[in-house]
Amino acid sequence: MNQIVEKVLFSEKVAKFVVDAPRIAKSRKPGHFVILRVDEKGERIPLTIAGADPVKGTIVLVVQKMGVSSAKLFELEAGDFILDLVGPLGKATHIHQVGTILACGGGVGVAPMLPIVEGFKKAGNRVISIIAARSKDLIILEDEIRKWSDETIVMTDDGSYGTKGLVTAGAEMIIQREKVNECIAIGPAVMMKFTSLLTKKYEIPTQASLNAIMVDGTGMCGACRVSVGGNTYFTCIDGPEFDAHQIDFDELIMRLGGYSNEEKLAYERYV
Amino acid sequence: MSTNKEYLQIEREKEWRADLRKTIANKERTAKERVRMPEMDPQERIKYQDREVNIGLSAEQAQAEATRCLDCPNPTCIEGCPVSINIPKFVKYIEAGKFLDAAKTLKETSALPAVCGRVCPQEKQCEASCFYTQKMKKDPVAIGHLERFAADYERESGFMSVPEVAPANGIKVAAIGSGPASLSFAGDMIKLGYDVTVFEALHEIGGVLKYGIPEFRLPNKIVDVELDNLQKMGVKFVRNFIVGKTASFDDLKEEGFEAFFVASGAGLPRFMNIPGENYNGILSSNEYLTRVNLMNAAKDEFDTPVIKGKTVAVIGGGNTAMDSVRTAKRLGAERAIIIYRRSRAEMPARVEEVHHAEEEGIEFLNLANPIEYFADEKGKVNRMRVQRMGLGEPDASGRRRPIVLEGSEYDIPVDLVVVAVGVSPNPLIPSEVKELKVSKWGTIEVTEETMQSSIPEMFAGGDIVRGGATVILAMGDGRKAAANMDEYLQNKRKAN
Amino acid sequence: MANISTRFFGLDLKSPVIAASSSMTGHAEQVIKLAEAGAGAIVLKSIFEEEIFHELQEELSLRTPLNSDPEYLDYFDYVIKEETIRKYLHLISEVKAKTAVPIVASINCVSSSDWTLFARKIEEAGANALELNMFIAPSDISKTSENNEQFYFETIERVLQAVQIPVSIKISHYFSNLSAIVKKLSGTGIAGITIFNRFYNPDVDIESETIIVADVLSSPNDYLLPLKWTGILSGQMKTDLSASSGIYTAETALKFLLSGASAVQVASVIYHEGPSAITRMNQGISDWMDQKGYKSIPEFKGSLSQAATSAQAWERTQFMKYFGEKAY
Repeated sequence: MNQIVEKVLFSEKVAKFVVDAPRIAKSRKPGHFVILRVDEKGERIPLTIAGADPVKGTIVLVVQKMGVSSAKLFELEAGDFILDLVGPLGKATHIHQVGTILACGGGVGVAPMLPIVEGFKKAGNRVISIIAARSKDLIILEDEIRKWSDETIVMTDDGSYGTKGLVTAGAEMIIQREKVNECIAIGPAVMMKFTSLLTKKYEIPTQASLNAIMVDGTGMCGACRVSVGGNTYFTCIDGPEFDAHQIDFDELIMRLGGYSNEEKLAYERYV
Repeated sequence: MSTNKEYLQIEREKEWRADLRKTIANKERTAKERVRMPEMDPQERIKYQDREVNIGLSAEQAQAEATRCLDCPNPTCIEGCPVSINIPKFVKYIEAGKFLDAAKTLKETSALPAVCGRVCPQEKQCEASCFYTQKMKKDPVAIGHLERFAADYERESGFMSVPEVAPANGIKVAAIGSGPASLSFAGDMIKLGYDVTVFEALHEIGGVLKYGIPEFRLPNKIVDVELDNLQKMGVKFVRNFIVGKTASFDDLKEEGFEAFFVASGAGLPRFMNIPGENYNGILSSNEYLTRVNLMNAAKDEFDTPVIKGKTVAVIGGGNTAMDSVRTAKRLGAERAIIIYRRSRAEMPARVEEVHHAEEEGIEFLNLANPIEYFADEKGKVNRMRVQRMGLGEPDASGRRRPIVLEGSEYDIPVDLVVVAVGVSPNPLIPSEVKELKVSKWGTIEVTEETMQSSIPEMFAGGDIVRGGATVILAMGDGRKAAANMDEYLQNKRKAN
Repeated sequence: MANISTRFFGLDLKSPVIAASSSMTGHAEQVIKLAEAGAGAIVLKSIFEEEIFHELQEELSLRTPLNSDPEYLDYFDYVIKEETIRKYLHLISEVKAKTAVPIVASINCVSSSDWTLFARKIEEAGANALELNMFIAPSDISKTSENNEQFYFETIERVLQAVQIPVSIKISHYFSNLSAIVKKLSGTGIAGITIFNRFYNPDVDIESETIIVADVLSSPNDYLLPLKWTGILSGQMKTDLSASSGIYTAETALKFLLSGASAVQVASVIYHEGPSAITRMNQGISDWMDQKGYKSIPEFKGSLSQAATSAQAWERTQFMKYFGEKAY
């Protein structure tokens, strides 16, 4: 049982939770995720850890309300308990000196991107961050990202905030302007796919952090399997980050839709 | 606890046993037929995921069956038992009507007799070595059914004995994983007075007993009773804790843990790496069974979804394959098919499971092997291609080698496929602890007599050592490790 | 040095001397040495289905009661196959990272179904081309020649559909209608044909009265059979041809080039001498070209083939006919 210490609403669909989890806060590194279950009847779902305070013993999770499980979590308030929380899972981000890193975050993917951006900045890199979303109310953590970036560009599909356009347009502008040594892309699968195609064109090594469907999250079931470079890996133990240019994004997107019928029906029932 | 010949003889010569033997002549004993376990009707039972197929023997049935046992001077049945349970002793207690004593006898050796009585492959173990099988070519004494009877009786009687626990010695030990190996390890260590904590990665305790074996074979409440007992004795269970991730071994050592029993199991699923295997609707048996058994996905009020196929193919021939295909049937499959590349006789599953599956209308497609899967435009599997197999010369394990019959492919329409071709050892701890000696295939190497790994304070047992084996073997490992860890720790104390 | 570049495997090669698939091309260090010695391409050690079965046998025989659960071992050959493939793909990518010399993966096909997924993975790992080893020895009396041939063509079609990299095939000489088969193969879209696969030959030890394995390496005279067929076949089709067996010297290599081969594959000579054999052969070819005034291989390649010369000499099969014409 882990108590929610603080809740901050970013918008009517996105919330930040600070959760009491001392051991996870201590062991966790950027890139790690947790699996949680809101209640007895709940699903086990993965969420990347967006930040941690080892002294206070808390971790930060950012949730976007999309289906039953994320909605259940979204509805919790400070003082409520999450029934089960386990982590840190996955392989930590390989943070090292590369020179200039371009970090592209789509929607709620900016949350897991934040600790990575912070890590790369602290490692002495030049950090250019692009945070993108469909509209203004889905842009999150702008100030925090700005704090750890040499340059931050905000983009919205509808132009309601920042520059109008897709993240790939912003990325290409940067790439054409200066030498980018490495790229990291975190966001919806289709966003990562197109960002990856762009950086592949320019031969910029790119890591993508994948959001596959999971059940246990500990390497036990294979639900999260993904094809990278023609081989099958488990997102929960080999990832969640992989060499973006080798990821079969089409397969990933196909697999993400594996339970879409059941998910739709369940959400209708819930609401 | 010794099972040597002297001890067995002493026990056998006790008055109550000698008298019991005299009450009925052997000729009369052997004239009886083996008891038939009452079972739920097949058409009825396929409607329920959580109702046991085997209903259990009545006291009269159990006593009658126990009477068949000849109380052999040289009990070969014990030799067939991986942990050498004193079988004649508990069987004769049942004949004598002393059911609680029978249960107590079982618990001298086996930590979870209610489990083993249900899931042990007796037909390969004790019952295969029974005098009836060996010398008379008749049905053996139903040792498994009797074990279950005694354990169930004890549990339901309310007189479940909580064993004596020695005074606390203040030494902290940890078990990693909460499956049968750890549970039996914990049971022994707590009795010796150790401070025992069992760390479990999942949110439920019991390991494969909970997430793997379906309720129609092993009800969860039976496992829960055992877990309760352990907690009553003082064993601490910590859920949602992955040793090596949530905290490292070094962290735990700093917190005072002096020795570890690694029993993290063989939970890594194996796939066949054939084209189309990543389409939606193709699952590992681990995923399928975890969704249904652990997450209750078949029940509407639980959030986790599961695909309920109409035509379900399960690849494999072991107990996991049987569990998967019978679960699919219970979830409403019109056709639930086993696809196995060898013949029926060579399927490694428990004979009783295959028999129950047949009764439930499971189709068996033997000498067939999948080579490719096809899907619709959304990426959902809708067809599979299988190849017919012949059987060639036996391989080094004595099982005949499957040989492809070229040009024999044909397609089967399916909407759910469960791949149950085996599991591999969980890679987490071997990857976290670099000094740990691990085999080429990921199993932790231990000294067989002591279950000690290459790191002195680390012992290991169960599937993480064996690759994938039975519950009874895991439990035997847990007990062996406990005895040896105790010696190791006591010696360490003395040295300091 | 003269320009000894040529084209085979659907690739431009810097030398017509290719390191053939053998145990020596199964390790990264050896492969790099061969690349550095001037090999035009290197064919990696072939993956055999039988090899996987033998590894399984070995693995099973090492088992103790501690780790021999039948359910766990039931499909263990898949585990071994996966590991074998993983190591092979790792070999490909490791070697590709260290040399620009074309690396050709080699698969031995016994059962046709398995290998399309593997072929794709080989391509993903970075192999420049794929060589299919067609090893069917006609000793299965239940199979007709049509069965065997059909198998070849079905497998080729499947693999060609699965990958973009060039696919070549190495065949045995066991065909009663070799010309017709090769012609048909050349129409499938494969990038090259290599003649011929060598079979391990049994021999008899009369002292122990047992069957033993004959020497597996080729001897220098083994080149005559493939040479004859190079002469006959090369002119009959557009598909590039390469030859193997018994090629120990630059002289022999040149014989093949003159007869119409685009390249030669060598193994036994490397076993005897080491990778420097390739350097020696390259030099020998270059020296001869300089001496003859040839600037590139296409200038003399195939000038002695049957198509070019209409020489009946290639098809002399009758011993009597040959000796009949000569006086003793």
